[in-house]
Amino acid sequence: MTSRESTEDERLEWSYEAVVAPLLGWLLPGAGHLYLGRRERAAAFFLIVLAAVVVGTQLDGNLYRIEPNRPLTVLGTFACAGMGLPYVVLRFLLSYSGDIVARGYEYGTAFLLTAGLMNWLLVLDCWDIAIGRKE
Amino acid sequence: MSHVLLMTLYAFLVSCFFALLWRRERAAQRRLFIQLFLSMVVGGIVLAWLMYPFPPGPPTPLP
Repeated sequence: MTSRESTEDERLEWSYEAVVAPLLGWLLPGAGHLYLGRRERAAAFFLIVLAAVVVGTQLDGNLYRIEPNRPLTVLGTFACAGMGLPYVVLRFLLSYSGDIVARGYEYGTAFLLTAGLMNWLLVLDCWDIAIGRKE
Repeated sequence: MSHVLLMTLYAFLVSCFFALLWRRERAAQRRLFIQLFLSMVVGGIVLAWLMYPFPPGPPTPLP
């Protein structure tokens, strides 16, 4: 480790925020940024991720779940679960799973996977902001 | 269901997202949004046009 890296590590502030913000961010898209005081960005991220989820479900896309003997479903489930509360609501409360014979199935799946992956990036962004690595 | 409309909507959402995530100043966000959006939409149309002569092949079997 170079001296520059060690100095940078010392500057990183581990705090309560560094745990809560990413958790909130995962639970509800944009909530982590709202907690960190980035109101405009929080609202924009919330709308973008939610729009992707709504379009994905309207097109009957696949909301992945882990299936035996299909290892790639683990990756798909991980990606979709990134959307947090919407995933829980869709899967467990509304029993949504998508419709494989629907015309928009492939497109819808792309939207749902993207919504989850975008929110995973937001979780990492919250973490970076909370520890002082980003503004 | 319009394929081009869905592609454009997808490009719009993803471009907005990354412009907000990667840039802080408004002008830089706008610039990155335009770059990403045009890359995806124009790139998608160009790729589709290049693939046009190739046969689509048999339909994917249902799992």
